[in-house]
Amino acid sequence: MKRQLGFILAAVLFVAGCGPTSPSSSSPDSAKKNGDFKVALLTPGPVSDAGWSALAYRGLQAIEKELGAEVNNQQASDAQIRDAMRSYAQKGYNLVIGHGYEYNAPGIEVAKDFPNTVFVSSSGGETAKNAGAFRFALEQGFYLAGLTAGSMTKSGTVAMIGGPDVPSIASTFKAFRAGATAAKPGIKVIESYTGSNDDIAKANQATLAAIGQGADFVIHQANAAAQGVFDACKEKGVMAFGANFDQNSAAPDTVLASAVIVADPAFVDLAKQVKAGTYTGHVETYDMAKGAIDFVWNPKLADKVPSDVKAKVEAAMADIKSGKLAVPMDKF
Amino acid sequence: MIDAVVNLLRFAAPVGLAATGETVGQKAGVINIGLEGMMLVSSYAGVVASQSSGSPWFGLLVAVMASVVLAVVQGFFTISLQADQVVAGTAINLFALGLTGTLYRARFGASGQLLSVPKIPRLGPGFDALPLFWIASLVVVSWALYRTKWGLALRASGEFPPAVEAAGYSPNALRWQAVLIGGLFAGLAGAHLALGISGSFAENMTVGRGFVALAMVTFGRWKPVWVFAASLLIGYADSLQFELQALNIGLPPQFFIALPYALALAVLVFVGKGTAVPAALGQPYRRQR
Repeated sequence: MKRQLGFILAAVLFVAGCGPTSPSSSSPDSAKKNGDFKVALLTPGPVSDAGWSALAYRGLQAIEKELGAEVNNQQASDAQIRDAMRSYAQKGYNLVIGHGYEYNAPGIEVAKDFPNTVFVSSSGGETAKNAGAFRFALEQGFYLAGLTAGSMTKSGTVAMIGGPDVPSIASTFKAFRAGATAAKPGIKVIESYTGSNDDIAKANQATLAAIGQGADFVIHQANAAAQGVFDACKEKGVMAFGANFDQNSAAPDTVLASAVIVADPAFVDLAKQVKAGTYTGHVETYDMAKGAIDFVWNPKLADKVPSDVKAKVEAAMADIKSGKLAVPMDKF
Repeated sequence: MIDAVVNLLRFAAPVGLAATGETVGQKAGVINIGLEGMMLVSSYAGVVASQSSGSPWFGLLVAVMASVVLAVVQGFFTISLQADQVVAGTAINLFALGLTGTLYRARFGASGQLLSVPKIPRLGPGFDALPLFWIASLVVVSWALYRTKWGLALRASGEFPPAVEAAGYSPNALRWQAVLIGGLFAGLAGAHLALGISGSFAENMTVGRGFVALAMVTFGRWKPVWVFAASLLIGYADSLQFELQALNIGLPPQFFIALPYALALAVLVFVGKGTAVPAALGQPYRRQR
């Protein structure tokens, strides 16, 4: 009897603990809105990562606010992706956004069975009648960060600290490397991965190791673990760059500038097309020219940046916007 | 050189502290699969307490208390109710992940924040408080387990509890003590991860360190000194892989990330023989009548 009670209590704990990974994790009051237009979001990581997944969640909230849509979101990866897409489509969702290239192929596949639902993935190259992709050209922001780092480095070594080694992160790192090399040919660029988006301690350790090898500028793609990068830079007195969000205030004396995705307008724009029924499957790039990517200086450290470097970056930014300068971007 | 040693101890300590406590628990016959969850909960509690009070030492206290509360839950299920230890521990892990995620989002917003909270200050040139405690605890735990009557009775509770009962001790009382000590160490481990190293919190920030600590206990053949050495070795492999990545050798990063685990497996191939495992590990003890 005691033993059974133990199992039952353990099961209760189990159920109670399953909170934020279940679909109900979006704000409960969202279900109250009228159900005419429904939008779902699938993210590869927790939406609380203050990075890649968080900006999609903010985009979803913007859709809810501006279009009065009913919204829901859940974290889904690997085999869960198709299941989640199908269950949203069955519940009558008009738009299902998968926030990453890995949602592209499942979206194309599921779209065949649900012609009334649109499936869009952030990056990815395949399209169908009711499925496509939109791609944030964060590479452009990383290029400018690389240009800044390459122009300002004293040691001739800069570093990039990533979470998992996935194509989207590797592509932004390539752009950073291109920018740094454009400013200072032959510059040493360290590329180091921790394997996790959540491991603050390892991000810290990897950054310390890179600084130990001489890096005096560090950019990251570590999402929730970014503070570990900034902390190591602060401790050793070197400069860092923010990524995805404007992270200049996360470590105000350390983060020189941030490569930012301005996601909300792109998400709302996409949802508007779907709502109006004008969406056709295509791949759309949201870049600097569209205002979706930005490079934001930290005003507190403005005097640390020489005016010629600032001018060089401004000029490159204008060239990127006009199309004169093409930043390398991997297809994936 | 000294810097390298300090850093090694600093980054190996979360796993090492948890493994030291877990050695005591397993010696008494209780395996704590919920170690990961206890570390995570103490990390979260420590960060919130440090942020709201401004004192990392208060954060440390709250972190340890939070972990000990979970240890009481674990003890209640596995010792008092004699539930399956693996099931109860797994439930604690899932509960901890859900609880900390929900509380974090409720407090800091659904899209999260890059928190920066007061960290435990370093003692002297680079030396951290909790890694020093880890080294000190090695001496104390070894002495208590192998040089005291209490330690003998505790180890017997993990080998053949009826004999402990016959000798006039209560195996379950000893197991309770071991579980609470394990909870204390898990709390220190989580606190060091969050307040000693990171000064921040992210969902699931322990990223499997509790499971690595469990592996270290097996790796170290249930002997505190060897568990300590195993934790240091894996910690060294971990710091080495970042040094190697920073050298720009050009090998794929997965190779380096897997290095500590590959090393652990390789060592286990050589030392994995024998029956060092406590005979009654994982078995609930019912009093003889």
